[in-house]
Amino acid sequence: MPNPLIDDRTLDFVLHDVVGLDSLLALPRFAEHDRAVCDATIDSVRRYSREVLFPAYRLLDAEPPVLREGRALVHPRLQEIWPGLRDLGLISAGRSTEIGGQQLPFLVTLAAILHVQAANCPLYSFLGLTTGAAHLIEAFGSPALKERYLAPLLEGTWTGTMALTEPQAGSSLADIETRATPSGDHYLVSGSKIFISGGDHDLTENIVHMVLARIEGAPAGVKGISLFLVPKMRPDGGRLAPNDVKVAGLIHKIGWRGLPAAALNFGEEGDCHGWLVGEPHRGLAAMFQMMNEARLVIGGSGVATASVAYQESLAYARSRPQGRPLANRDASSPQVPITEHADVRRMLLRQKAIVEGGLALLLQCARLSDLAGHGEGEAKARSQLLLDLLTPVAKSFPAEKGFEANVLAMQVHGGYGYSSEHLPEAWLRDQKLNSIHEGTTGIQGLDLLGRKVMVEKGAALRILGEEVAATCARAAKAGVDPAWIAAVGETGKKVGALTGELARRGQERGGEAMLLHSADYLDLFSSWVVAWQWLEMAAAAREALADGRTPGAFYEGKLAAAQHWIRTEMPKVDALITVCHEGEESYRTVPDEGF
Amino acid sequence: MNHIVCLAYVPDTETKIKIGADGKSIDESDVKWIVSPYDEYALEEAIKTKETKGGTVTVVTFGPAKADVGLRECLARGANEAVRIAADGLAQVDSLGVAKLLAAAIKPMPFDVLWLGNKGVGTDAQTLVPMLAEFLDLPHVNLVTKLEWKDGAVTCWREIEGAKEVVETPLPALIAAQKGLNEPRYASLKGIMAAKKKTIAVKTPADLGVDVAAVSGDKAAVRWTKLELPPARQAVKLIPADDPAKAAEELLRLLRDEAKVL
Ligand SMILES: Cc1cc2nc3c(=O)[nH]c(=O)nc-3n(C[C@H](O)[C@H](O)[C@H](O)COP(=O)(O)OP(=O)(O)OC[C@H]3O[C@@H](n4cnc5c(N)ncnc54)[C@H](O)[C@@H]3O)c2cc1C
Repeated sequence: MPNPLIDDRTLDFVLHDVVGLDSLLALPRFAEHDRAVCDATIDSVRRYSREVLFPAYRLLDAEPPVLREGRALVHPRLQEIWPGLRDLGLISAGRSTEIGGQQLPFLVTLAAILHVQAANCPLYSFLGLTTGAAHLIEAFGSPALKERYLAPLLEGTWTGTMALTEPQAGSSLADIETRATPSGDHYLVSGSKIFISGGDHDLTENIVHMVLARIEGAPAGVKGISLFLVPKMRPDGGRLAPNDVKVAGLIHKIGWRGLPAAALNFGEEGDCHGWLVGEPHRGLAAMFQMMNEARLVIGGSGVATASVAYQESLAYARSRPQGRPLANRDASSPQVPITEHADVRRMLLRQKAIVEGGLALLLQCARLSDLAGHGEGEAKARSQLLLDLLTPVAKSFPAEKGFEANVLAMQVHGGYGYSSEHLPEAWLRDQKLNSIHEGTTGIQGLDLLGRKVMVEKGAALRILGEEVAATCARAAKAGVDPAWIAAVGETGKKVGALTGELARRGQERGGEAMLLHSADYLDLFSSWVVAWQWLEMAAAAREALADGRTPGAFYEGKLAAAQHWIRTEMPKVDALITVCHEGEESYRTVPDEGF
Repeated sequence: MNHIVCLAYVPDTETKIKIGADGKSIDESDVKWIVSPYDEYALEEAIKTKETKGGTVTVVTFGPAKADVGLRECLARGANEAVRIAADGLAQVDSLGVAKLLAAAIKPMPFDVLWLGNKGVGTDAQTLVPMLAEFLDLPHVNLVTKLEWKDGAVTCWREIEGAKEVVETPLPALIAAQKGLNEPRYASLKGIMAAKKKTIAVKTPADLGVDVAAVSGDKAAVRWTKLELPPARQAVKLIPADDPAKAAEELLRLLRDEAKVL
């Protein structure tokens, strides 16, 4: 059986028994949809990913795009794939029907996207970046810009990019230097961007860059950054003319190699036209409006990349005979599959716990995003707060723990995993990026502890506490082991107490003292949040078993993974809480020369 | 030019088939169902031809209500209409019965090309194509991997052992698709939404005037009496090679006494 990428039954279970897709379909925004349409959507993308994208993965990884005469050329196989990938319609899946989209819940779109990401993670970016660019234009662009750019982007005849990063401004976007000078109905843009994914390629005749830049005379810092639309080719009297966007080079990446990342120079010849999108100096705020969804998509990449490797290592372990059970001393007896060794079982179950825990968290966030966008009344505001709180976790947990899972997938393969004949090494390289782009894990930690848990005096954390309590109640009713419920509930109280303490520390001794252990805080907070999801899955599994649903082993697998995560991770959370509480200071106090 | 495509909704070729409790049918509890891959080649060719030459594509299946999922997928890919002959609650119908039912449903419909897959991947009997052609009094060409349309006729490239055979047939005709004819498209999200708005016409055997009792269960010309899975593959036997001469001797012995191939 070929690699399933994402386990079908698990996805179904999470969508329906854990997250509750049906409740979303009751919202007016999604009234046109029913479960059959959602299933058909996921199914079509799943098949396409398995049959077309996955078989091309190794080829595109081995032969990345090349730069010829100033132009990035993608692999010929990608040229063949592109029309089919574009025409699936994922770019506009979530946009409203008025502008040609399908108005699908983000929950369904993301569930579908996961298959593309698992099959060939870099390729989704061509679509996702285009969705993002179109969304920015739709939300903030002038009628003229919408008229000109929206349709080709949503149809994928052009693609989009997000051009934020500059050599001196990565995590610190406040230091962006690209300039924009007013010139008639447009601006003249000049400056350099680096690491721009999809920044150049030969799949489409045009590329639309969404560029952060400073208008001449703008204030320093983030309050002086504006958003511009800068096409590679500018519409000029019915045709497309070059817009003075030059490719300075392609980045030689260790992963995501199907997708070019370019260093771009805007306005080398003083003739790069850009159009302001939204208000002057409000560019970063506009960009951040998109960022939530983009961060969940990166979380998706983390889950997907860990999932495909988990599936690969599971199949490998089942087919690899090696050694005998400890009690068997008979060297002439046949070797057993490595799935019979406790340590291999540990590596498999831990991968499962990470992959499926991350999946549940991610899809919960997607549902919150739908409710925040299209829900009503209190549920809308509540969902937004909770989503904001959970986004740094949904972005970084799949990247960080997903990397651990990818390492385990490689380890299960033994020496073969260290060879490029097998795929785990490639996924390991791919996974690493997810902790770097769209805000590093370090930045996510600062965001969580410095902002998200603190807003409105901890309102979001209180809502999360209520959600966890509801899960504990569901689990108790379903007959989940009371020790697991107690562990998740107790840990929640400790996280709450620690957060209060850190907030006070911040007030008394400043932000630096409060945030010294932001990485540990993100780590422990994430483990607890995922334990909450595992408790929810354990409850759903118990309910299914009580209903006599089959196969029983499927639900027992969920209970085993829940037990693993809750019983082995909560003690580690305790240890991290102690570290944060004590405010251990080694790396703050070590002299620079002491490293 | 109007097209009718007959298709079967069959267990996914990746499904691990389990035999049902009665020992003569498959256990459907864990089966994932798909449109038979050969029928997909037929559908793709019909849609492609419609896109260049105009006309409509109607898909027809004989199957239970769950086959509607497969029909919707075909509508999402570009078929215009769908008809299902309801198989719900019927005893096993053999290929002859299916051919009679399909012929009865298709007879009143105007068409230029009737398309089928060269075979289903369900029972793999490969008998439906000639029987259906016979009932509808149509010329038929099977194993088709390439086509060239002419006025009122079509030239077909057939795959035969070690060669290609080129034949021409007047229309209307029945054409059975072979792997290699094309690469079937995938349903787009837009197509899926559009398909949702279409209705599937459901007909019972009685609506079609077919006495289903006479072609099913004990009355079917072909009855399934028993299903068996292929024997499980045996474990590999490793011969220690410390002493090559001894190893060769042992190999000979095994080939002669156990595998009985010498
Ligand atoms: C393959 C790839 C594709 C990319 N695609 C795009 C794209 O399409 N568009 C785009 O605009 N950008 C893109 N990027 C850029 C990416 O977003 C940045 O690399 C990222 O934001 C980090 O910036 P940096 O590389 O300058 O690292 P730095 O900001 O220099 O960070 C270096 C280290 O310092 C830490 N650090 C930095 N500041 C702080 C702080 N204040 N507190 C604590 N720790 C800190 C970071 O966490 C990190 O560990 C891409 C990058 C890569 C590698």
